Amino acid sequence: MTESPISEEPAPSRPRFPWQYALVAVPLVIAGLVFWWGYNRAQPHQFSGAVIQSPTAAPDFTLSSDTGPVSLSDYRGKLVALYFGYTFCPDICPTTLQDVADAIEILDDGDATDVQLIFVTVDPARDTAERLGEYVRHFDESFLGVTGTEEEIGSVATLYGIYYRAGEGSEATGYLMEHTATLLVIDREGNLKEVIPFGVDSDGIAADLEYMLR
Amino acid sequence: MAITIDSPGTNQGPRLSRRGRRWLTAVSVFTALAIASVFAFVTFQPIQVLPRVRLAPGFSLIDSENRTLTSEDLRGRFVLYAFSYSSCESCSSIDETMLEIQEGLATADLRGLPVRLVTISVDPDDTPETLAAYAAATGADSSVWTFAAVEDDRFLADVVAGGFNTYYAVDGDGAITLDRSFVLVDNAGIIRNEYKYQTQTSDAERILRHLGVLAAEVENSKGAASLAYEAAHLFLCYAP
Repeated sequence: MTESPISEEPAPSRPRFPWQYALVAVPLVIAGLVFWWGYNRAQPHQFSGAVIQSPTAAPDFTLSSDTGPVSLSDYRGKLVALYFGYTFCPDICPTTLQDVADAIEILDDGDATDVQLIFVTVDPARDTAERLGEYVRHFDESFLGVTGTEEEIGSVATLYGIYYRAGEGSEATGYLMEHTATLLVIDREGNLKEVIPFGVDSDGIAADLEYMLR
Repeated sequence: MAITIDSPGTNQGPRLSRRGRRWLTAVSVFTALAIASVFAFVTFQPIQVLPRVRLAPGFSLIDSENRTLTSEDLRGRFVLYAFSYSSCESCSSIDETMLEIQEGLATADLRGLPVRLVTISVDPDDTPETLAAYAAATGADSSVWTFAAVEDDRFLADVVAGGFNTYYAVDGDGAITLDRSFVLVDNAGIIRNEYKYQTQTSDAERILRHLGVLAAEVENSKGAASLAYEAAHLFLCYAP
């Protein structure tokens, strides 16, 4: 109400007036920002899976894809989503791969290029590198599918907590594989960070990936 | 606004800044309280948890009754793993610790936490029969404590040494060297603690206490309280 005369006529009698607002407002804004920062820092992000705090390096491996050998360590600096499955898988594997592809769609373009999905087959007898490549690229062009000898796959799966075994099936489907269906996330430093159980939707996966990319 | 509420006369500047100062004081007190409460949480640790160390390995075992036991079968349970073998002459202290825990489980207040004990043999020559005799000799209750060997020997080292980080070696003439090690794994297949070195408290006592900590986490970390538990993980409020 008294602002206009003052702004029109910054009389020497009241020279400090705008500063007095600033004296209150600036510390308030700073306090507010500090509080907001602290609050966000203290508020843990609610992960959809189990988070592993201790930084343990995820075991490295080198397996083959249709575009050449793939090592986990090649992707240091990116988030790696690691999934074990097989291309003849009727339900769980395509669902999970689609969820990851949708999650990557949700992310910003910059974030999306920092996520690499690696699909490791648990059925090396039937899944060739070519077949795997074609299968995973059906979900997202950036996905990689890798295979190796039975021993190599067995070792990698064991170390990543994955159990698998050839089970029953029908003539139409061939044998089915039983396998652990967790999605594993390895952070930019190459540490195993999160174990996401089957059934978390793309929004949940995207939120966790985004948080880990921050 | 401030001008109309507050009384006449003097110029507005000092009054505004007085009000501002009150606000500032309130905000500062609130911030200080928030920082103090975080500090108190970290210092006094009203909630303690066990760390989520790393992923337990995936495996397929054959137990002493010739049944398959896989890491997937054990998902949803809290499992204490020990490592031994039937012809081991120096493993009695490992078995005694497991026996003590088996007995402790009957009386401990674990609020219905599903717990299993599994001894994994590191001897590729162990069979369900030798393991059954071994289990009988130790006094294992088969409803709680299972003895098993890795189904495919090719992955024995991956499971025991790689996954459970337990040292063992089999030399050319079959002699086995084995380190004492217990590994506690949670219902999601994540290692929550490893017991490799003797402390002043016995392993059995610590493991039973830690199972109590896990039981409390499972029972209480629901809804808003789960945030407090996540904060305890974040601030490394680990049970000793």
